[in-house]
Amino acid sequence: MTVVPPAASGAVYDRGYRPYDGPRGGRRHAMLALWRLSVRRALGLRRSWRQKVFPWSLLAIATVPAIVNVGIGYAIKDRPWDMPDFEFITYREYVGVSTALLLFVALTAPDVVCPDRAQRVLPLLFSRPLTGTDYVVAKVGAIAGVVFGFAMLPQVVLFVGQMLVSDGALDYFTDHAEVLWQVPAAVAVLALYYAAVGVALSSLTDRRIVGGVAILGLALVTSAVAGILQAAVDGDGTPLAVVNVLALPLEVRDLIFLGRLSDDSGLSGVPAGGVLAVGAYLTVLLASLSLLLHRYREVDL
Amino acid sequence: MLRAAGLTMTYPGGTTALAGLTVEVPAGSVGLVGANGAGKTTLFRLMLGLMPPSSGWIEVAGHNVAVDPVGVRSRLGYMPEHDCLPLDQTASDVVATFGELAGLPPRAARQRASDVLDLVGLDEARFRPVGGFSTGMRQRAKLAQAMVADPALVLLDEPTAGLDPVGREEMLELVGRLAGFGISVILATHLLDDVQRVCEHVVMIDAGHLVLAGPIDQLMQTTGVMRVEVGGRPGAVAALAEALTARGVAARRVDDHSLDVDTGPQGDATFDVVRDAVADERLRLYALSTRHRSLDDVFLQEAGR
Repeated sequence: MTVVPPAASGAVYDRGYRPYDGPRGGRRHAMLALWRLSVRRALGLRRSWRQKVFPWSLLAIATVPAIVNVGIGYAIKDRPWDMPDFEFITYREYVGVSTALLLFVALTAPDVVCPDRAQRVLPLLFSRPLTGTDYVVAKVGAIAGVVFGFAMLPQVVLFVGQMLVSDGALDYFTDHAEVLWQVPAAVAVLALYYAAVGVALSSLTDRRIVGGVAILGLALVTSAVAGILQAAVDGDGTPLAVVNVLALPLEVRDLIFLGRLSDDSGLSGVPAGGVLAVGAYLTVLLASLSLLLHRYREVDL
Repeated sequence: MLRAAGLTMTYPGGTTALAGLTVEVPAGSVGLVGANGAGKTTLFRLMLGLMPPSSGWIEVAGHNVAVDPVGVRSRLGYMPEHDCLPLDQTASDVVATFGELAGLPPRAARQRASDVLDLVGLDEARFRPVGGFSTGMRQRAKLAQAMVADPALVLLDEPTAGLDPVGREEMLELVGRLAGFGISVILATHLLDDVQRVCEHVVMIDAGHLVLAGPIDQLMQTTGVMRVEVGGRPGAVAALAEALTARGVAARRVDDHSLDVDTGPQGDATFDVVRDAVADERLRLYALSTRHRSLDDVFLQEAGR
């Protein structure tokens, strides 16, 4: 007797349309989604390899001084010319590796806001449960978050590396415990400021290249003007040094690390120079955020 | 699905886009018809809670927009007329992103993006950047992002604009299927043929005023016209028009042999009236046929043009 195998089983299903009855988030969820989207964009994730080259190269370059510092410290360890606590770059100075960060902001801040306006994506974004304030928080938060990460990672490499190559890891840790709050605070001050100024300038144009040039131009022009003003007073400190707007977060950094302005600051020697620096920092930060809130207050469909 | 009362929107420049609009439309497919500048986009802006009305109130999908202008957007999908998609992202990423922005968890958004792109016929193109899409594909991707979060209502602004005849047919077919998915549609257009094809209800606005609103079938029925061709003696058309007017039926001369007769609220009973009038006037009746007017005729008549 022949056993007949069962007919090959299989079925074709028309999946059709399936309604969604799962959880739904609100404004906060939408804002976080926009933040994630902007972070991905800034880092070049889910984009072509060309978009990834710049941010990751920059992170690598920014980390080089920390690696070199730790490497030299390791190489000269237990040698006759041993120099205890070798440092060719300090934590304070590392926060000031701002040229690389400024370059990063000049390229990424326009990239996360200009296409939204140029490609008319804004009406679609604002048809979701998002407000103009949410949009600004997400965009500035994304750039600030990435800058914070890029500025913090080398510091972590430096701290952990130095601790491991030092004669006593625990001693190094306790001796440098204050940088555990100083570095994050100073980096946060810098990241938020650069992000707010960068995104605010970028919001004024639809074209990425114009936004980038505006950010770098602001840095160059205000720095040059501040230099001229300082030269006019024979290199002494002058309150007019606050026009160097992109150096203001570095003044605040010095206040965090040193408790005073550094000697090479343009505001050094100016009465209440620290207060002036903090006031100017907050003024520029708030002006940038106000400009952004105004720009995204209302969107045409 | 949409209720509005006394809805007025006057822009700061003094332009009044909506003037006391009072309308109520049920769930299903609704055509929002009006010429350019009629107030369609302003009505969409108010429905999305993007600005408060100057006066009046509006309720969308059961949400009072004034009470929760942001939350109402969680249940709406919107497809603008113009290009609006990030060109350097893949269709899959774009649709999933807008799903997340509408409140879906990331994993669910990605799954639904795949499903709706399949539904609109972009399953094989979903990993291609939107910038390389044809106009028809972009329109379909726009529709996919509008429906990815399973909204209660989608607002479609001129979805067939710029499409070739084939693309237009495909888009209308997709729009026509939405109501079957449990998604209500408000289709804003100035192409009345599109509305007649896929909508059950129509709302006509002109210069910010409501022209008429109601089920399309009913509008077509109540505004139907019959074409009557008569002869038998000179002046037959004028004689019949006079006889019909005397019987309370509106008639208009078309040419020397025919006239249009409004069926009016009497409906099919008008046929009997015409037959009797022809007989009484001893005319020859050559043809008597129903001619339903298009929505264009209705709009032009109701708008007083």
